[in-house]
Amino acid sequence: MKLLSKLLFMLSKDFTISKRQLGIMLLITGILGAIGILAIDILNAGQQGGIGPAQMFALAIMVVIAVIGLTLIPLGDTPA
Amino acid sequence: MPTSTYRLHTLLMIVATIALGFSLAVYVLYAINLIQFPFDYDQGEGFEVYDTVLFSQGQLPYRDTEAYPFYSSNYPPLFHIMAVPFVWFFGEGYWYGRLLSFLSTLITASAIGYAVYRDGHKHRWIALLSGLAFLASNMVYHVGPLVRQHMMMVMFETLAVVIFVKAYPQKNTKWIAFGFFLLICAGYTKQLAAITAVAVIGWMILQNPRRTILWTIGFGITGGLIFLWLNIASEGQWWIQAIVANVNKFEPFQTFGLFILWFKLHGFLLIPAGLMVAYEMYFDRFSIYSIWFIVSALLGGIGAGTWGAGDSYFATSIGAMCILSGICFSRTLTHSWQLQDNYIKRMMPSFRIVGTGLFIIPLLYLGYARATLKMPTDGVFAPIAQILNITPNIRGNFFDSATFDVEGYANIGYFLSDEDTQAGYQIVELINQTDTLVMSEEAGFTMVAGRDVVTNPTQLRNLYLAGLYDGSQLIEAINKQEFGLIILRAQFYPTPVLEVMGQNYKITETILMNGFDYLILRPLNDGVIDS
Repeated sequence: MKLLSKLLFMLSKDFTISKRQLGIMLLITGILGAIGILAIDILNAGQQGGIGPAQMFALAIMVVIAVIGLTLIPLGDTPA
Repeated sequence: MPTSTYRLHTLLMIVATIALGFSLAVYVLYAINLIQFPFDYDQGEGFEVYDTVLFSQGQLPYRDTEAYPFYSSNYPPLFHIMAVPFVWFFGEGYWYGRLLSFLSTLITASAIGYAVYRDGHKHRWIALLSGLAFLASNMVYHVGPLVRQHMMMVMFETLAVVIFVKAYPQKNTKWIAFGFFLLICAGYTKQLAAITAVAVIGWMILQNPRRTILWTIGFGITGGLIFLWLNIASEGQWWIQAIVANVNKFEPFQTFGLFILWFKLHGFLLIPAGLMVAYEMYFDRFSIYSIWFIVSALLGGIGAGTWGAGDSYFATSIGAMCILSGICFSRTLTHSWQLQDNYIKRMMPSFRIVGTGLFIIPLLYLGYARATLKMPTDGVFAPIAQILNITPNIRGNFFDSATFDVEGYANIGYFLSDEDTQAGYQIVELINQTDTLVMSEEAGFTMVAGRDVVTNPTQLRNLYLAGLYDGSQLIEAINKQEFGLIILRAQFYPTPVLEVMGQNYKITETILMNGFDYLILRPLNDGVIDS
């Protein structure tokens, strides 16, 4: 019920995403993205080994996104 | 601040304005030079002219490529539709497409200047320099006056963003709707505008998810209905030709090379733009400009690495960069920075930002003007090249700071000569000498000769690679040597088509035009037929 009311609040006319919420979203995106990129190699085991240049580039972007997210979390309820 | 400091600042600003003004002058002369040229300067321009001709006749250019004339377009219609009245009044031609594209860049630069003026504490001089900086970019310059939709798409995107920045927070329904209309125009000018749509919607979600969902539904329905109509009217060819066939192979090293080049050319303004993003991230709310800059740089840059793409995919991010850096400089010069108290501020050292900015800002624009310098080195430009200590690095009479060494950077930008025009007419004359069908890799020659435009090589290639092209009718026609003349430049045709050409045709002439060798192929048994 709490989650539902939170979701409904997010859809209210006056709701604005805060720096903290944006930070959490970016952190989760960065972590999940990085895991996904690394998982490509695990799922493709037996094929070409090692992380390719495109994967490395994408991984670096995901790390940057996660770090930015982490630094935004302490900024609290300030509107993003 | 002492008067002498301001005098020096003014002097440096004047020098920066002259430097960027010179860049504009070169751009205008380049556009004038190109607008007069009646053939392809960049491979594929002629097909865009032909699309306009088809629209002017009430026909769609999304067609079945298996049947004669084996032609289809892969671009959305708006740019071509806007040029249709010119076809009605002036007939087929390149000049109006080039003029429209060139004017689009001027409108974009004006919109950038206006945005910096309005949102950057009304500093006129910085607003002017921001607009000029956009036109000075090598990546804008060389595609600006081409018969290409790209810069018109950037214009619609920029206008939409400049409208949203005020209209959305103010809940101004009329202007928000107009902004979305411009975004739809951008999307139906070129598919790449989807990146700006993502950025705009992302920024709106930060503001208020509920309103964003409602607006996005309306935007999606409108865009979707146009899409559906195009698909029905073209009997499904719109989907095949403009969407499916547009997915090309990704080359990571092309992306890396272009990202490095993008930074080398624009670093002087990219860093201030990045600082503006960081400021908004930690001390203010995100503006639409910041989100637009990040998303367009990242996704546009990655997209630049696909086959057939290239440096022009950075043009949107360059527009956003000019706005953000301009606002950053205006705020500095008008003492308008406000840092909210937070843990980041407490970690920052204090420094005299205004006094330093008075010198650094014009120097950054000057550095940018030098980094993006491109100019002819002969004729009236020779003394200027000598003063600037510039030696030609392109075709022996042009200097481009970007060089032509990076994969994906369009090898154009130099001026054309009368010899290039004469070479084009020489090819037209060869077409006129034959009564049979002519297949040309560029549409300009056959259009000038009043012949059918047969095939669109890159489109056939893309379809073939996507497993959507059989090509048996075209291959049969080449096998039967039904084409009296084949004109090749880049040899973009699918491999089986090129193979059958090699088996049935021989190169009889090579004509140099616009720095490229045009191969003239005739049937192997040409002499037998003649006898």
